[in-house]
Amino acid sequence: MTREETDSQLELLQGTLDLMILQAIAFGPAHGHAIARVIQQRSDEVLQVGHGSLYPALQRLLRRGLIAAQDGLSENNRKARFYRLTAKGRRQLTAETSKWQRFSSAIARLLGPLPDQNS
Amino acid sequence: MKQWEKQREHLESEMQEHIDLETQENIEAGMSPPEARLAAIRRFGNVPQAGDQSREAWGWLRLERLGQDVRFALRTFRKNAGSTAVALLSLMLGIGASIALFSVIYGVLIAPYPYARPNQIWAPAVLGPNDAIHGWHWYTQQEMQEIQKLPAFSDVMATQVKSVLLTGGINPEGFYGVFLTANAFNFLDVKPIVGRTIQPFDIPSGGEPAPVVVLSYGFWQRFFSGDPHAIGRTITVDDVPRTIIGVMPPRFGWWTNEAFWLPLPTDPKDISGTAVILRLAPGVTPRAAEQQLNLLNIQFAAERPDDYPKGKLRTVLLNYMDITTASGEMAQSLHLLFAAVGLLLLIACVNVANLQLARTTGRAREIAMRLAIGAGRARLVRQLLTESVLLSVAGGILGVLFALAATRLIVVLIPPDYVPNESRIIINGWVLLFSLAVSMLTGILFGLAPALRSSRPDLVATLKDGGGGATGSMHGRTMRSWLVVAEISLSVILLAGASLAVRGFVQVLRVDPGFQPEKTLRIDVTSPPKSYPAWQQRNVLDRNLLDSILHLPGVDAAELGNSGLPYSGWRSSFSIDGQPRMEGRKAGVALISRLYPQTLGIPLKRGREFTEAEIENGTRVALINESAARLWPAGQDPVGRTLQIDELGHPMKNPEVFSAPGLAAGVTVVGIIGDTKNDGLAEPTIPSIYLPYTIYAPPNRELAVRTAGDPLAMVNAIRMKARDLDKDLALGKPNTLNEVMSEESQQPRFNMALFSSFALLGLALAAIGIYSVISYNVSQRVQEIGVRMALGARRGDILKLILLMVGRLAALGLGIGLLGSFLVERLVRFQMFAKTSFGVVPLAAIVLVLVAVALLAGWLPATRAGKLNPVTALRHEA
Repeated sequence: MTREETDSQLELLQGTLDLMILQAIAFGPAHGHAIARVIQQRSDEVLQVGHGSLYPALQRLLRRGLIAAQDGLSENNRKARFYRLTAKGRRQLTAETSKWQRFSSAIARLLGPLPDQNS
Repeated sequence: MKQWEKQREHLESEMQEHIDLETQENIEAGMSPPEARLAAIRRFGNVPQAGDQSREAWGWLRLERLGQDVRFALRTFRKNAGSTAVALLSLMLGIGASIALFSVIYGVLIAPYPYARPNQIWAPAVLGPNDAIHGWHWYTQQEMQEIQKLPAFSDVMATQVKSVLLTGGINPEGFYGVFLTANAFNFLDVKPIVGRTIQPFDIPSGGEPAPVVVLSYGFWQRFFSGDPHAIGRTITVDDVPRTIIGVMPPRFGWWTNEAFWLPLPTDPKDISGTAVILRLAPGVTPRAAEQQLNLLNIQFAAERPDDYPKGKLRTVLLNYMDITTASGEMAQSLHLLFAAVGLLLLIACVNVANLQLARTTGRAREIAMRLAIGAGRARLVRQLLTESVLLSVAGGILGVLFALAATRLIVVLIPPDYVPNESRIIINGWVLLFSLAVSMLTGILFGLAPALRSSRPDLVATLKDGGGGATGSMHGRTMRSWLVVAEISLSVILLAGASLAVRGFVQVLRVDPGFQPEKTLRIDVTSPPKSYPAWQQRNVLDRNLLDSILHLPGVDAAELGNSGLPYSGWRSSFSIDGQPRMEGRKAGVALISRLYPQTLGIPLKRGREFTEAEIENGTRVALINESAARLWPAGQDPVGRTLQIDELGHPMKNPEVFSAPGLAAGVTVVGIIGDTKNDGLAEPTIPSIYLPYTIYAPPNRELAVRTAGDPLAMVNAIRMKARDLDKDLALGKPNTLNEVMSEESQQPRFNMALFSSFALLGLALAAIGIYSVISYNVSQRVQEIGVRMALGARRGDILKLILLMVGRLAALGLGIGLLGSFLVERLVRFQMFAKTSFGVVPLAAIVLVLVAVALLAGWLPATRAGKLNPVTALRHEA
């Protein structure tokens, strides 16, 4: 696998991952591991994202001002960094979500009921 | 930086925490601890990569990578200490020499003057129909006032230079006093370092100017040791006590940098020559101003026909920047030297390019390996670029240090009479900027090409290849060979240029000046003008002085006069009776006393010398030199014939110079003396006419004394004799004719010194270049050499193989270089020192030297190759 291929895969993933992170913290601040767990569960473990790639995405979102970070204690009383949505992040989440929903329903209509798959 | 470190630690601990949490969950799900940890890490993915990508989002990573690149580059330099040193040395010499020379050019040609807007100062030249520009025109004060009224000019100032006598000190001393109009200091706009300058109120219209004086820095240092309390004290100039009102900075050298400036008395009847400079009114072009001034000049010429060229007048405004003392030979020299230093810099760059190329090619396998394990191309190029920029910046810094020393050396070598008074040669900001640009450009240009090429290798081929096989680096090898050829040809051109400069110098030394400068002393003598207010009185003083010196033991001969000694010269137009007048032809006119030929050692060819009576009376008789004698038709003896010297017919303009009674233009030739190099050693002799010095009686004379022993040992005895006659008789700084002669060869010596050192530097750099390329080549061909030896080649064969390669390169480089040299010689043929052409001997010497240097540079690597053990050579992987 060359570097270019990884790059394009990452690129494809990036927007989705960002959206999933924003969604994961939509109901309250969470630390990295919790976010990873949420994403994993919500996507029914279909999206196999390496937990590691969460952190570059978090840094990007921080820089874009969509999320904010604060230090806190994790469930087992250890120091952890909690991420929460900012106002800008919430707007972004709403906009992106509706865009995705329109997109996915369009895809669903387009593909229609699927013919039987050879499984 | 601190904050960044902290942020980085935070991120790392955050990710660690993540893994810990995951591990714990896994344990809770029933895994064994090690298993749980492994699963957690697997799920997380590549930890350092996640860190990298996270930090990339901060924007700090660039800096971090730069740090990495710099550290890596330094490590590489340490590993290749030899080639790094060679590259640094090349850059240091190349860049240093160019900075030094550029500093000189900046100080002498680009920004020589401290005056305000010097490129907007204009000097008028008035020309006849066929005249070439030969300096500016001298106006009278009255004419200057007319010029001031022209609308084309916003400001007009005038300068008069007169020899004046300073008395009241230990020894009376003659100076050239510079008299300026009231607006002069505002025109030039330079602030004094102490006190004030001459202002308009110092010269009331119609009245005598205030007795004030502004000192030059040199005079202030010499007579007042730089004491600021000198302001308000007086010095006696031409018997008038004058109050010191100010001191100018060292760079202010308007017509003098060792005397002083005085207010010019406004005198409409003053007809002595006044140098006028102008500033144009806003919006007026020089062409328009020339037209206005030309109309005025035509009027002036009608009033003073003797001082204006004949025929239709032309007026040209010369920009002050174009008429500096450096604008002749020195400017030509500096331009040529700049070209030479450019070649030197080119050689240095070629060396660096070569080394970079060798280095990256040698690292082809390393680079291929890095690419194979996933290094980005941009990242690799950036790293290679970091190396070359780092190298060139370090080279640039070393170059600046070298330049500091070299500039100091050039300043010592530079002949002072060939650069403007005002110029200061220092390394300035522009020059530093220039050097920085050059060094960065070299680094980027010559670092980028190999970097780009080596980052696009055929990975598989390079990795399979031993790393030094013949196939992989074929392209690099031809390119390097061409670089060596280029270096050799450039240094041939430099050496050829240097040989021209050396020949020019030797030629000047070998010239027979036509007189004997050995053991001859030359002193300026100035008498207090007011003590000797008539022609007769001055003559008595001069004769008494000459007589008393002639009677000194140790004096073989002595002579007093004006403009007869090298290389002062007074020129006049003239005509030979019975022959058509030739416009524009001038002869040298010298005032001499009886023993002039003996004192200077010039043979009398025909006729007789002057008699004592002729000298005493200022009789209009003349000696002429052989060049002047040839102006008469062949077979006609000039002795006994007459000619007209135009200047003698005009009234003397300087009121302090008295003429002999009944002076007129016609003189009779009584004898012919030998030709001398009277217009400079490299110039043809001009026709000269020698007259009894008493024809004019100025306050200042030149004294020449031929001595039996050391001429300078006689100075004190001569001073005593002068003081006995009149304690205010001033003797100037004595020098010997030999010193005067060596001043003549200063410019050729300067050319020779600089050209030779540049050429030697170039040769050394080229030799280093050849050495490094050949040894690199040998190290790349070790395997091939091993195969050859295994197949039966002997040491001699290997040696021959390598030396043949060197020879081919050297021959090619020599050929191109010699061709280039002849082209360059054609181009510079009109330059002063290139009046010589290449000799066979110097060219042969250059060829020999270069072949020797090339073979020597190739010898070491060649013998190393010859000593290789075939078995290890075969196993060798570069």
